[in-house]
Amino acid sequence: MVSTTGLNGRPALRLVVAPELEPAAPSVTFCSHCGTRPPVSATSANTPGSRVCGSCGLGLLIEATEGVAPQAGDAFLVLDRALSVCAVSRGAERLLATSEPDVVNRHVSDLLMPADAEEDGAESLSVAVAWAARGDGGIRTTVVRPANTFGIRLTARIAGCGPPRAALLVLE
Amino acid sequence: MRYLKTSEAAALLNVSPNTLRAWERRFGFPKPQRSPGKHRLFTHGEVAALRDALQEGLSISSAISRAREGLAADANSLVGALASYDRERADSAIEAALALRSVERSVEEVLLPTLDEISRRYSVESAAWAFAAHWATDWLRRAIRLTPPPVRPVSIVVGDASRDELDRDAPYIRALELFCVRAGIKVLSLSARGVAGIGDAANVHRPNLVVVAGGHLDDDTVARWAYAIRLAVGAMPLAIYRRGADRPRTRGTGTTVLPSGAGDAQRILLDLLESDHVAATPSASAAAVSARAQIRSVGGFQ
Repeated sequence: MVSTTGLNGRPALRLVVAPELEPAAPSVTFCSHCGTRPPVSATSANTPGSRVCGSCGLGLLIEATEGVAPQAGDAFLVLDRALSVCAVSRGAERLLATSEPDVVNRHVSDLLMPADAEEDGAESLSVAVAWAARGDGGIRTTVVRPANTFGIRLTARIAGCGPPRAALLVLE
Repeated sequence: MRYLKTSEAAALLNVSPNTLRAWERRFGFPKPQRSPGKHRLFTHGEVAALRDALQEGLSISSAISRAREGLAADANSLVGALASYDRERADSAIEAALALRSVERSVEEVLLPTLDEISRRYSVESAAWAFAAHWATDWLRRAIRLTPPPVRPVSIVVGDASRDELDRDAPYIRALELFCVRAGIKVLSLSARGVAGIGDAANVHRPNLVVVAGGHLDDDTVARWAYAIRLAVGAMPLAIYRRGADRPRTRGTGTTVLPSGAGDAQRILLDLLESDHVAATPSASAAAVSARAQIRSVGGFQ
């Protein structure tokens, strides 16, 4: 809508055609535990309307943009704005030698620590996760290591996901 | 309390029954009870809480964690009510717990943990504990009175060796009695101090098993009480409950030590009562003894 001046000299509003928006990146649905992307025709094999993954039954279906969404078997975490662990994929359970029920609701630093020597400090991981969980678009990349292991460096791809809004951290 | 079969619970959660069983194995939630035919029975409240949490969750684990937190709120509200000496609020809190759970689970997951929390927070010498213990004992006794008559042909005598209702073990003993009564067992609860006339009580009740519960009375007092029962109705299995795992014991007597949780203890008691060892009723044993005595008196074989 734009403002013009009406007959009585007061501003008036009129409808205008919205400018061409940049097409949103396509989002894909995946399981928060096994990473499987269900076919579009069957969002869940359990029953229609269910968010539970029909493939493994141990995760909920969430969405992320195509560029960041994991593939089946990938190691990834889902974190909330408080940097608490909300989901741990099967691949991440193997990689980090943990189990999702044991670490859910714990702080991400119990699992991962920043390991990028060129970054300013420990804030890099926290800032990236908080930023993604807030819903800001884009993908950030940082380097992390398992919290209890030195000498291993993993590249983490961090972006938003949901619903509900959260940060997706894919380990590469 | 409304219970759901596996298929009903799965339908409410929009998942398959196999998925529900997989959650039970991996997460231990929702935790079903078993019907007499060993089928799973889920409490509606738990399933409904999980269904709501799944709508907002990012994983099954986080949804289950949220559902558990919601259910744990009942214990917190009961602690608050008892700590502020508010009987009506305490009644409401336990009613709220009962809306989501069975009586057994309400007692095990809400009432007893609440009492533990109050005793830890204020000590058992405090007025808060006195109020909480009195309220809990009263509630448990009322629940026992409201339970339908026993249906199993088995009975137990509970020798209460706790100090009084302010004893930390007392609510656990009442809870065990409640669970046993609700399982259809006939329960006679007596103080282990009262030896005089205990034989008459035992003869009337004809117990299949004796439970000595509580750790306040010394071993000699308890042994006198148990011996008096044995004299009246003959030898029978003995189980001890919350009598102090660290209490020194000089010899093994074949006595069963029950776990401190009232639910676990009740399950083991049921197993004991259903085992062949106890299946032979005391009346049958007594009949055998008297028959043997008659044989001896008429000069038969020994």
